[in-house]
Amino acid sequence: MLKGKLSLDVTNLDNFEYDMSKCIKCKGCYWVDHIYMPGINFSTRCPSATRYLFDSYGAYGKMRIGMAMLEGRMEYSDELLKTLYACTLCGACDVGCKRNLDLEIELSLEALRIKAVKEGKGPMPEHKKVAKKITEKHNRFGSPHENRNKWLTKDIKVAAKADVLYFVGCSAAYANPEIARATAKILNAAGTPFMLMPDEWCCGNMLYSVGMIDEARELAKRNLEAVRKTGAKTLLLSCAEGYRTWKVDYPKMLNISTDDLGFKVVHLTELVDELIKKEALKLTKPIDMRLTYHDSCSLSRLSEPWTPWKGERGKWGMISPGLERRRGSGGIYQPPRDILKAIPGLELVEMVRMKENAFCCGAGRGTQEAFPDFAAWAAEQRLFEAKTVGAEAIVATCPWCKDNFARVARQNGEDLKIYDISELILAAI
Amino acid sequence: MAISKEAYKVLEAIVGEEYLSSDPVVCEGYRSGPGGYEAGLGYERVMTKIPGCVIMPLTTEEVQKIVRVCNRYKVPYVPYSTGWYGPRSHCHVDDELLIDLKRMDDFEIDEKHLYAVVGSGVIYSQLQEEAMKRGCYIIVGGGGSQCSAIANMLGDGWSPLSYRIGLPHRRILGTELILPDGELVKMGSLAVGDDPFWGDGFGPDLRGLLRGFTGLRGCLGIVTKMAIKLLPFQPEKLEPTGISPNTVLQLPVNRVKWINFTMPSKESMKQAMFEMARAEIGAGVTKVPIFWRAIAKASCKEEYWDIWSKESEETIKDFHLLRVLLVGFGSEEQMEYEERVLNDIITEIGGEARRTRPTDESWFKNADSAGMWLMCGGYVSVDYVIETLEHSLPHGENYAELKKKFTPPLMPDYGDPGWFQSFELGHQGYSEFLVYWDPDENTDGVDHFYLETSKENIRKRFYTSLLGPHQPLYLTGPAYGPNYHKWMLAVKDEFDPNFLSHPPVPLAHDEFVEKAEWMRPMKDWKSPKLP
Repeated sequence: MLKGKLSLDVTNLDNFEYDMSKCIKCKGCYWVDHIYMPGINFSTRCPSATRYLFDSYGAYGKMRIGMAMLEGRMEYSDELLKTLYACTLCGACDVGCKRNLDLEIELSLEALRIKAVKEGKGPMPEHKKVAKKITEKHNRFGSPHENRNKWLTKDIKVAAKADVLYFVGCSAAYANPEIARATAKILNAAGTPFMLMPDEWCCGNMLYSVGMIDEARELAKRNLEAVRKTGAKTLLLSCAEGYRTWKVDYPKMLNISTDDLGFKVVHLTELVDELIKKEALKLTKPIDMRLTYHDSCSLSRLSEPWTPWKGERGKWGMISPGLERRRGSGGIYQPPRDILKAIPGLELVEMVRMKENAFCCGAGRGTQEAFPDFAAWAAEQRLFEAKTVGAEAIVATCPWCKDNFARVARQNGEDLKIYDISELILAAI
Repeated sequence: MAISKEAYKVLEAIVGEEYLSSDPVVCEGYRSGPGGYEAGLGYERVMTKIPGCVIMPLTTEEVQKIVRVCNRYKVPYVPYSTGWYGPRSHCHVDDELLIDLKRMDDFEIDEKHLYAVVGSGVIYSQLQEEAMKRGCYIIVGGGGSQCSAIANMLGDGWSPLSYRIGLPHRRILGTELILPDGELVKMGSLAVGDDPFWGDGFGPDLRGLLRGFTGLRGCLGIVTKMAIKLLPFQPEKLEPTGISPNTVLQLPVNRVKWINFTMPSKESMKQAMFEMARAEIGAGVTKVPIFWRAIAKASCKEEYWDIWSKESEETIKDFHLLRVLLVGFGSEEQMEYEERVLNDIITEIGGEARRTRPTDESWFKNADSAGMWLMCGGYVSVDYVIETLEHSLPHGENYAELKKKFTPPLMPDYGDPGWFQSFELGHQGYSEFLVYWDPDENTDGVDHFYLETSKENIRKRFYTSLLGPHQPLYLTGPAYGPNYHKWMLAVKDEFDPNFLSHPPVPLAHDEFVEKAEWMRPMKDWKSPKLP
């Protein structure tokens, strides 16, 4: 609706009619912030529009297509589903738009996927397969549930009860155990006791991302209750995607604020940065390497806390009560950089596109499953960018990024090393 | 006439399957509105269509072939580089081919001779950064950093920095243009070789073709490549800082500095512009529209209105803000000298320097046009005029009076008519009249105001740059000609005999008035039956 009562509820596309109808095609969603524009190369931040080129793949096209869907002028088709899903929902468009305007682009895109699922047309077949695995095995890989804690080694101390609960996530538990192990060992080294979930299930990141809101909400309720039962004060994640799911998507789905979760949601980099600054953790072993840092979208521009809002829109499009808009400026940008700078011998070199202008790795929000070629293409772009600044290695804060980079580097015979930040922290202790 | 299967196949053979689509989803992505420059108004609703087909060529040769196919199969077409320029740059008739030029992003730079050769897909901020890496600069027009450099150069995009280095069309060097019938025209030194270093060629200066009907809006061809003159800058880096939305360029204040001055009157601002020009100092100057200050201060729409609604005619009428850019192009001493001279000028005129941040938010790299939509959601500049400084002030005052009659639906601006500044070291004056409205209310009054500005210009004998397709040609043509319209149509007929290059331009606004019933009562001029 353009005027009158509305909320930020993504299950009702009507809430975003104003936002979709006010896109002005400035393409701030597509280009790197002009202040930071690096020149002819690496000048865009939207993977989807950069790869597929037609305007329909940029937020400026999707907002118009969204209006057509809302007004019943658009039939579902393969092209429409590709337009909705060949997109990493990486938030680049949202922060780009909100540099100048107050439009909710990311929420509009999420609401469009939810609408497609509600109307029986979405998600993509590959997403349905993953959803089935999550339902049956409680992890996105379909691996046996009993293997979830297989990553644990004997030298890792896990407390039966602690203030910190490490939510490992499917990726680190099954596909990237090195991240889970490194995280646990860092906590041990820092003298920070931690516990694990008695029975950890998938966070449901994929379900929410592809618009399966009912399934995602059920999982959110189950997981939230399980964490609350443990009495944890801090929920720690080493996965940026999981971090956003817990910190932003759960409150969004459950219509509560992040503060109402009952515990703090913290990414490993936030904790380690704090420990280093308090001198509770010292990084003393040198790592002689020229390395670049990749801002994982869900730790950076997508990670600001959620606050539910409902109210009214009136004259000139003003809303009341006021709303603190999530513009990406409060993302976790500096802590990972400070950690890397604290490692002796390590030379941190920035890529051209960084922080809120970073180019997504291409893996998340259902892209890798349904459009693997696109996901690989996006990773290639980013690896190429890393090489142009003379980096020997690239480090991320999310197993999705690491995995996608590593796969593409392997396939292409790249000599660039790929790390998760937990591995480097551990190596430097 | 629908694009035939045969024509589609031929087009596909030119660019390949991946770069051509008539899928309704793809075409919907190229809809003009409902948001955007001039969008949400009657013109956009009545005159625009989604394309019948979209094609993305890579080379000049491909564009030439596409245009020839359009002529062979009688397919109307419109070129499109970024889609920024609102409904006027979107399809107007059914089954129109939209030629999306974004893949044409070739870029070369000649540091020695100070020019860059760009394709249609290259935008201003890209070009500016590449220029600055090499100690040069260009003007990022007020249309915004996101504008295609070529499209904005054709439209004579200007900025406060145009004070020093003049109008864009003077910086157009060798250029390639595909005429509406598919003929390739090479202009300037490109006409006799491969080096585009010089704008003039043999015979008459064909660059007039580019500016016909106010630049790109005339649709007299598709520019696929242009060499743009770069200007020498100063040597220090303008450092990007901050996190979005608060990103700025930190200025090296020993070489680059903005200074804001409060001035006693509009007249005194004009006087300051003249005196600066006489002393040959300054790199940029502009009168600051007061609502721009409110936009700059506000962190969101609601805060803007908190600030702006406290203003009134009383608070606005005596508040005059002049913003001056100094650049020590040659040396720090030049900077110091110019600052001393500037301060003397301002002091003599009765102005006063204000504390000014040592940053640039919106002119070097980030011409922030998108911010114009923050307040209301609807924006267009109803008139922009390059005449004299003497012309600017009375024109602005007259316009402000007219605007009062249409407020609402227009946003109240309390008598502040917009933007005016000096061009080309005082030899020209520029004014631009910006209007804002709530697109979710009845906008008929905005449509009426748009047309009424044209009538007012005629009544009061003011000049306007929007004689061409932005107003009814049969209204403006006889008044400014008396045969202006006949010449325009004759030129169009000569170059576009099949009338395929973005019809019904140049008669689009005439057609709009005929089609929109709420506009018809305003029609008090004669026109023949439109084709």
